[in-house]
Amino acid sequence: MTNFSSALWVEILKLRRSKVALFTAIGFSVVPLIGGLFMIILKDPVKAQSMGLISTKAQLTAGTAEWATLFNMLAQATAVGGSIIFAIFTAWIFGREFSDRTAKELLALPTPREAIVGAKFVVTALWTLFLTLLCYGLGLIVGQLVDIPGWSGELFRSATVDILGTGVLVIILLPFVAFSASAGKGYLPSFGWLVLTVVMAQIAAITGWGDWFPWSVPALFSGAVGPRAEFLGAHSYVIILLASLIGITATFYWWRNADQTK
Amino acid sequence: MSNAIETNQLTKRFGDVLAVDAIDLRVGTGEIYGFLGLNGAGKTTTIRALLGMIRPSAGDVKVLGQALGADGRGPWAQVGHLVESPSAYPELSVRENLDIARRLHSKQNSKIVDEIIERLSLGSYADRKAGTLSMGNLQRLGLARALLHEPELLILDEPANGLDPAGVVEIRELLRALVHDKGVTIFMSSHILTEVDRLVTRIGIIHNGKLIEELDTQKLEQLRARHLEIQARDLPAAQLCLQSAGYKFTMKNETIVLNDAHAITHPDYIAHILVNAGTPPTRLAVEQQNLEEHFLQLTGGVR
Repeated sequence: MTNFSSALWVEILKLRRSKVALFTAIGFSVVPLIGGLFMIILKDPVKAQSMGLISTKAQLTAGTAEWATLFNMLAQATAVGGSIIFAIFTAWIFGREFSDRTAKELLALPTPREAIVGAKFVVTALWTLFLTLLCYGLGLIVGQLVDIPGWSGELFRSATVDILGTGVLVIILLPFVAFSASAGKGYLPSFGWLVLTVVMAQIAAITGWGDWFPWSVPALFSGAVGPRAEFLGAHSYVIILLASLIGITATFYWWRNADQTK
Repeated sequence: MSNAIETNQLTKRFGDVLAVDAIDLRVGTGEIYGFLGLNGAGKTTTIRALLGMIRPSAGDVKVLGQALGADGRGPWAQVGHLVESPSAYPELSVRENLDIARRLHSKQNSKIVDEIIERLSLGSYADRKAGTLSMGNLQRLGLARALLHEPELLILDEPANGLDPAGVVEIRELLRALVHDKGVTIFMSSHILTEVDRLVTRIGIIHNGKLIEELDTQKLEQLRARHLEIQARDLPAAQLCLQSAGYKFTMKNETIVLNDAHAITHPDYIAHILVNAGTPPTRLAVEQQNLEEHFLQLTGGVR
């Protein structure tokens, strides 16, 4: 049993016993269900009115009921919802050790701190990737059930890149949340960080600097404002990777070297 | 005797606050070292430095002969610890919390979890979630985690916290047995001075970050020595009577103090000769200066 596999076993046990895993899965499953509801409404607004799904004053601008619209909604929801739900999950994985005052039990052990932090990152990445796949998979099922038109192999391939790519970009940026939950010794600083990055991402995108601001990149990649080729360049992907590396390094450094007083 | 713990000029500063001030500690193998101090004296900071959880601002720390690295590396496979209030993953059972400790100590044998549960009398709580435990049982869980991997050195911060009187005695006997049977070294802080007094072989007193006194076995024995205190209305007559009977004594304020072993074990005889001499005692008591009094004198008592 290596140090890392022990640490990974421990993190998986904590995840299995926690309600956070379930809540994040339920929270992220709502996204495709809402997408399906929109498809039902867009497919037949008059019937939706008669069923009481929408009021007569409703003005739906989501587009037409077809696979392209649903995929677009899923990609955007992964960018926005993922940023929030994945960050909450990451804050829990790292911040709980301070809120539950268990961090001190992880420091003076034969298992190095690097293995423990590494295991936390791996569990975070795997679970958030699972959430992305869950959202996408449920979206496919919902689309089939609602029976919307416009399916094609080409559309499916490009939507897979859009949705999973957006999810991966959101996941790549999570190390800063991990760092703020660790250095801030709890959940709250990471929630502050989340709000800050969401707001700053909006401002950067509006002012036309989104391609240079890592936290704007996932939404731009998802096609929220148009084809990504118009808004993103190679530099955007380099910057997001750099931001991720800085976050990972800072988190490892902090766990290894900072005074642990909680 | 080799040192299980050695600090040289250990200093820790948090901004302007000097939490630990140039402490030189030597804890020999097989010792039970009591570390006393008021709240905020620097006990927990010292303990965290001994466990590599904080980096000294100056000085160095050696544990089991190994210098602690800046990255917190140390001989942790041989060290068990309990720092401040006990904590556990609340949604995990007692057994699962201990299984986590077992895994992180790279111990393959899962039976050690059952054994330590039995040893710490946690059997009826083994499958209960840690979040539902009383303070006392949470403390037992913390001690179980510290002892799980059979360490050579135990660093315990307030091990008796939250335990009921029977639990305090049980843990004391458990720790004593570990030292006697397995040669384990224990470094412990405690607020329960009578408990420390009963268990330890040496004491260090920390005050305002400084190690102001160390009491070895001999000094502790002196502290624990009993004496007979006598007060009488006619003190000179009482002194004369005791002198004639061959007793040596000292005076403390308005009290005659006898350290004579016969007098201490036979206060009734002393009363008898004083009464016969026409100077009956108004107070006759076998007293023992305790660690608490000594500690309060040193640290200035209530701040």
